[in-house]
Amino acid sequence: MSLSLNNIDKSFGSIKVLNNVNIQSHGRECLGIIGPNGAGKSTLFKVISGNLKQDKGDIYFNSLNINNLNINKRARLGISQSFQKNSLFLEMTVKESIMLALSHKYKITFKMLNSLINNKAINNDAIEIAKDTGLLDYFDTKSDNLSYGLQRQLELGIAISCSPKLLLLDEPTAGMSPAETKEIIKLIKKLSAKYSIIIVEHDMDVIYELANRIYVLDRGTLIFEGDAKSVKNSELVQNKYLGI
Amino acid sequence: MRAVNHNPQLRSQLFFLLLFSAIIANIFGGYFTRFFVAEIVILSIFAISLDFIASRGGMVSLGHAMFLGIGAYTTAILSLNYGISPFASTFLTFITACLIGLIIAYFIVLLDGIFFIMVTLALGEMFNSWVFTSDYLGGSDGISGIMRPDLAFIGIDTNSPLIFTFYVLLWLIGIYYLLIKITDAPLGRNLDAIRQNSNRISAIGGYTRAYKAIAFSLSAGIASVAGSLYVQLNGFISPELTHWTVSGEGLIMIIVGGIGSISGAILGATVVHIVQHELSSIINWWMLVIGFGFIFIVLFMKDGLWGLLEKIQKKLR
Amino acid sequence: MLLIQFLNALQFSMTLFLLAVGLTIIFGLMKIVNLAHGSLYMIGAYLGLSICNYTDSFWLALIVAPLLTALIGAILYYLLFRHIQNADPMKQVLLTFGLIYISLDSVRLLWGTMSHSISAPDILSNSILLINEPYPSYRLFVIAIGLIVLFTLYIILEKTKIGAKVRASVDDPETAQLLQINTDKILFYTFALGCGLAGLAGITVAPILGVEPGMDMEVLVLTLIVVVVGGPGSLKGAIIGSLLIGFVDSFGKVYIPQLAQIIIYAVMALTILFRPDGLYKR
Repeated sequence: MSLSLNNIDKSFGSIKVLNNVNIQSHGRECLGIIGPNGAGKSTLFKVISGNLKQDKGDIYFNSLNINNLNINKRARLGISQSFQKNSLFLEMTVKESIMLALSHKYKITFKMLNSLINNKAINNDAIEIAKDTGLLDYFDTKSDNLSYGLQRQLELGIAISCSPKLLLLDEPTAGMSPAETKEIIKLIKKLSAKYSIIIVEHDMDVIYELANRIYVLDRGTLIFEGDAKSVKNSELVQNKYLGI
Repeated sequence: MRAVNHNPQLRSQLFFLLLFSAIIANIFGGYFTRFFVAEIVILSIFAISLDFIASRGGMVSLGHAMFLGIGAYTTAILSLNYGISPFASTFLTFITACLIGLIIAYFIVLLDGIFFIMVTLALGEMFNSWVFTSDYLGGSDGISGIMRPDLAFIGIDTNSPLIFTFYVLLWLIGIYYLLIKITDAPLGRNLDAIRQNSNRISAIGGYTRAYKAIAFSLSAGIASVAGSLYVQLNGFISPELTHWTVSGEGLIMIIVGGIGSISGAILGATVVHIVQHELSSIINWWMLVIGFGFIFIVLFMKDGLWGLLEKIQKKLR
Repeated sequence: MLLIQFLNALQFSMTLFLLAVGLTIIFGLMKIVNLAHGSLYMIGAYLGLSICNYTDSFWLALIVAPLLTALIGAILYYLLFRHIQNADPMKQVLLTFGLIYISLDSVRLLWGTMSHSISAPDILSNSILLINEPYPSYRLFVIAIGLIVLFTLYIILEKTKIGAKVRASVDDPETAQLLQINTDKILFYTFALGCGLAGLAGITVAPILGVEPGMDMEVLVLTLIVVVVGGPGSLKGAIIGSLLIGFVDSFGKVYIPQLAQIIIYAVMALTILFRPDGLYKR
């Protein structure tokens, strides 16, 4: 897996939100992007996932220029995302949601006449994913009836159903209690053994635990890149974050 | 918008109940009752077509009367001008309407909810104006003299109300089973998911435009079957059939019945048609009563009669 | 002759404008498509009819009918519409459809099914000579009303604080809420105003077209098209859209009757495809 963002600029009106951002990620790693509020993390995330288009610069995914590809097309190339605000199918059960996501991986979404729920292969696959994301006990529960933490886990479950080449996580611990955060961190650690991940986070402790490498963003510009240790020790980063 | 599916058992129970009632009414009823039942069956088919896109894909169409018209006029022209059997015409109109629906759908299915409604309304009205002013289609007089299928070779006389009502019932049964299959298949499930959260379907690599377009196309075809059968039932077609208020009445049927369960649509069509008929023969101001009824249902019975039945079913457990 | 047609088209555009402007601001603010807007137009005309018959004064009807219609709008808002703001389109369609049914039968019950007419006031019942052609001064009056409303709304929207609040609420409802611009009150008054304008359209047009059940439907689709083409929520869009559609419809009916309707729908279809936010995005 290789992802390159070259010289990315993005403005909203007269406000420049991303300024000459360069990001590289190759092979399997867990890459973190952090920054204070308003740093442009969300925007950067959306530019990678395809929700927003950059004004200048190029994005290459596995050597393919994906500038003009919309979300659907990027997803089919293997870029999967999970959302900061839960984006689930509330009327469906956990089982149905995961199986639905899997129907895309299995490329059978245009089939009109065979039941999806009775499909054995997909059923087994769904059980595996439920296991991986700690949802097996809630397999037949309606998404609407899950607790917030479990919904976040389902959020991840749907995102990994398509066996992504790159998993984008947007503030996965948003709105969680400390106990729930611990669960999610455990989960993501497990996932990072299988998938390449880019996490955008606000909570630095979460990133320190999960990321091999970290980019630090401040007001649209990348100000630092390194592993957790060097980020923690960097005076520059401390200044920007804590105003020391 | 909620759909009330996910309860296949109730869906079939309701369907069989309604089917059984229709058969009994057809066998034992007089001329008028049989005609009335046939009308209800045809309206049910129309309602199902609207229900399909509303619950699978979240598309609310105020222009579907256009496909009723396409079904009716195509059948009329094919059988009168080209001598094609009405039976074959129904299939041909299905294909025609599917194609037209597909082309229209390509352009409009990604529109936001309200815009979708307005565009379908305008397209429907466009068709309505054209039909009213077209001499080829009989203008405001419409076309008359359409025959029913000739099944004499197997000894069946479709001019008999009893037989014709059974004939349209067969179409309803066929469409019902077709849609059940589709509902539970990957395409149907994805469409249901699109109604709930279309962004997420895009994010997992779905072909949202294609799915919705296929659904719209199928729905157009089914509506045209209703139109085709309607013109065979009555023997004539007048352009009022394509007015947008007809589409509106269809939507009312599915919300009364409950969106998303197919059987709900049939129930809705039955109830609305009966109530409208009975009420209008008692009082002149039946529209007033029905208007209040709609508002009541929209505000307080979001899941329509289906929702009521589900609650009863739960209580009986 | 051309001048006559031009003025007829302008008068029709002004009527469309009165209808469209209410609908568009309501749509921009509340994301509600009020299919019963045409019913309010009809009710305004009927109320005006009664006031005229009882008081023999057209002017009184001209003032009171829109106010009453606005009042009805306010009641409808309070009872129904504020519950379905931002609700899914299906709910809105059905609710407003129910209102259409109710208004139609109410009108028939209260005023009968025959069509009625209102005579224009004496001062405006003559014709004015324009370049040697007589033209009914009443129609000029209708044009004037439209322009006055346009001008007044422009001043309110662009130059007053409350106008700024309305524009803010249309552009960015979430931020407006955060800034506590008291959007609920604004919605209430705007909705009532929109309904009042529909009523005004009804009473002003009554001396020309008459008053009958079914007049609600005649204008509805065209008004919706104006809103879509002009751009929901935009005053500029409402006037430009009204002029565009009004002129195409009027001239079309005279010169190319078969095609006129189709052209209008085609304009709308093209707008939706290529400029989905309308010609003038708010």
